[in-house]
Amino acid sequence: MTRILGRGVAIFLVSFAAFTAPALRAQEKQPVKMKASAIRVAMIESNEIKLPAEFQVSLYEDLIQQLQKKGGFHIYREGDRNSENAADLVTLRTTVRGFKEGSERLRQVTTVAGATSIDVHCAFTDKDGKTLLERDIKGNVRFFGGNLRATYDFAKKTAQVVRDNFSPTAGT
Amino acid sequence: MARGIGRVLCVALFMVVSPFVLPGDAQQPVAGTKVTQVTGLPGVKNKTGGHLGVDSGNLRFSHEEAKVDVAASSVEDVITGNDSQRLVHGTLGTLTMFAPYESGRFLSLFRTKLDTLTIKYRDADGGLHGAIFTMGVGKAEVLKKEMLAQGAHTSVPIEEGATTTPAAKEQKP
Repeated sequence: MTRILGRGVAIFLVSFAAFTAPALRAQEKQPVKMKASAIRVAMIESNEIKLPAEFQVSLYEDLIQQLQKKGGFHIYREGDRNSENAADLVTLRTTVRGFKEGSERLRQVTTVAGATSIDVHCAFTDKDGKTLLERDIKGNVRFFGGNLRATYDFAKKTAQVVRDNFSPTAGT
Repeated sequence: MARGIGRVLCVALFMVVSPFVLPGDAQQPVAGTKVTQVTGLPGVKNKTGGHLGVDSGNLRFSHEEAKVDVAASSVEDVITGNDSQRLVHGTLGTLTMFAPYESGRFLSLFRTKLDTLTIKYRDADGGLHGAIFTMGVGKAEVLKKEMLAQGAHTSVPIEEGATTTPAAKEQKP
């Protein structure tokens, strides 16, 4: 009788843990979003890696387009004088840490070879230059599209990181 | 009576001649190089075809819907490069993926060479923009020269006597 009771309690405890653990984990995963009214995007830096100019410009423009599309923040470009008056301004600085240019022809002919990838370190800082968030984000093109599609992939992932970690303040 | 006939003849002559005169003024040839704007110009969709030219201190991209002008003096950098694209591209190129016996892959082997022109420029508020264009081989260097003559800047100066040869390109992406 005691053994049956003990087994019942054990089963209850295991099932309770199984049901509640994912919910607790989900609560732990959700980060507290930082407030920002606007994001200023700095031009992509590539001091260590020799990055072709079209990739640099494509990274910058795709990033701005994706941030404008998702998020609800006011997006400023590098050097925009209007950004100086913006409250809760976050500056996004990106540095290319790795770049492997593949071949579109190889991708189309072999499917498995010729991938293009870009590794970019993203740092979000506040007005005082204090780092709020840092992430390493990768952009790839493995199957379809030109090499510049890797920059689109990177921009989409970065916009998602912004959405997950920042919430727009009222008035944006 | 004679004056009346003269007037009618004048009007008739004008009506006959005018169709040959007016269209001549209206159908001026489109100035500039045929290009595809890959990304960057405000108000223009990515991968839009049009004509790019340099006119009275402005870099002008014109296509069916609108014209976009960028002051040459606001251009901070002009860089040329080269690229390639499938001989059969666009929607038809995508459809060749479903062609039998992997013939789509075979068609991917045939490619045309392209020149790329990348510019960085500032808007009225000082914001930095970038734009990328692709065009036929040998045309990017010519456009770059024209832009530099109109006041644009570059981080890679043009070498004398090396304008259209592939070896003269600054980079090979």
